[in-house]
Amino acid sequence: MRRVSVTGMGVVSPLGLGADAFFDALVAGRSGVGVLDIEAPRPLATGVGAAVHFDAASYFPAAKVRMLDRVSQFALVAAAEAVAQSQGALEGDKARMGAFVGTGMGGARTTDESYRTLYESGSDRIKPFSVLLAMANAPCAWIAIEHGLAGPSLSYSCACASSAVAIGEAFRSLARGDCDVAVAGGAEAPLTFGTIRAWEALRTLAAEDPADPSASCKPFSKDRSGLVLGEGAAMLVLEDRDRALARGATILAEIAGYGLCTDAGHITRPSAEAQARAMRLALDDARLSPAQVGYVNAHGTGTEANDGVETAALHSVLGDRARDVPVSSTKSMHGHLLGAAGALELTAALQALRRQVLPPTMHLVHPDPACDLDYVPNAARAVAAFEAVLSNSFAFGGTDAVIAARAA
Amino acid sequence: MSTLERLRSLLERELDLPADALQPQATLEGLGIDSLRMIEIVFTIEDEFKVAVKAEPAELRERLKTFADLAAYIDELVAAAAVAP
Repeated sequence: MRRVSVTGMGVVSPLGLGADAFFDALVAGRSGVGVLDIEAPRPLATGVGAAVHFDAASYFPAAKVRMLDRVSQFALVAAAEAVAQSQGALEGDKARMGAFVGTGMGGARTTDESYRTLYESGSDRIKPFSVLLAMANAPCAWIAIEHGLAGPSLSYSCACASSAVAIGEAFRSLARGDCDVAVAGGAEAPLTFGTIRAWEALRTLAAEDPADPSASCKPFSKDRSGLVLGEGAAMLVLEDRDRALARGATILAEIAGYGLCTDAGHITRPSAEAQARAMRLALDDARLSPAQVGYVNAHGTGTEANDGVETAALHSVLGDRARDVPVSSTKSMHGHLLGAAGALELTAALQALRRQVLPPTMHLVHPDPACDLDYVPNAARAVAAFEAVLSNSFAFGGTDAVIAARAA
Repeated sequence: MSTLERLRSLLERELDLPADALQPQATLEGLGIDSLRMIEIVFTIEDEFKVAVKAEPAELRERLKTFADLAAYIDELVAAAAVAP
């Protein structure tokens, strides 16, 4: 099996654009969560979300903007940054290059607008490109078109594990030799009235913190009240390591292993046993022992259900060392990007590995006795060089995906 | 305002086509109007001129070669709509 290097990273996040700006914000403990300003025919119960501040017109000509749902705009901007950073990864045989992209909701904004036209305005005049904007594979297709990636192009939809799965499957495709370079990651743009109302109805969204709306997402804290929806994209350029070395590329990190399994039990209730299994599969795949793991970016949604179960799973995998391994949920700052969460959080973990500083779990003021790990509470932590990271992504539907990465 | 002028300002406003390039003899192909773009143009024309374009966009691209042809076609549609019961 071939080794797989990361040679580019790109981010569009509620904490800013750019993989470095994103990580700087995490280290500063800044929150991208705030009071939402979205078009809503009636007030939402949920006041907060993590929105991207983004002017599509500064990235695309107007004719192109009309072809792109917000989710694809995010995907393209993140991919462009990753490709630029790779400094020439996409030069060569394009038939050996692929795109692997996860999204949970696809073009939610287009779908929402179409329904408003149909049902609210009573008009049948749906925009002619609605299908092309809303289809779930649009972000992936546009990346392939933009960069001429003519090998495999695959879209993955497994809710909150979508982009971890996309990166994991790209890793396997590269390791097997099916392609030499891949743009892999995820994109999500769910901040529409219809989508938010649907999440509200499921009673999983955090209540707005009355004193500080930006502190509404409180993973692992006793007073956590749910997840905060976010939007954005993160993309990596993954490349056959020998190829990257041969062309003198800067290798940012190595994707070392991928663990994938399924709860196969309940549509929402997570399984500690399956989460632990996914982590072990990733470690085994990477030939890493738990002792080599210096940081875990948790799924850490801030829901009652997730955080205790994930803590139990980490105990099971890390054993006696569990309390010594720093684990943080950066969702406390960027919210839950659903299908883009895995890619964004892996990017945070890769940056932690490169810079030897761990991003914190913010807003963790009242520890929950059931959550007893080292969550790097409330302030980033500089650490000595360490070997490997895990990034956890656990989905509604039961998909458990874990990526293991090593320092370059 | 003539149909041609109205169409020019419509396509500039709605589809960001460059108004200077929308000359009567400019070919639709030369303007970069491919099959998808034609679908968008048909949609916009239907809204603006309150007509229904029954022809398929691909067929229109065969029949209508220039910007003037497109304007003349709209005139036909508007006239037909006016005499319809």
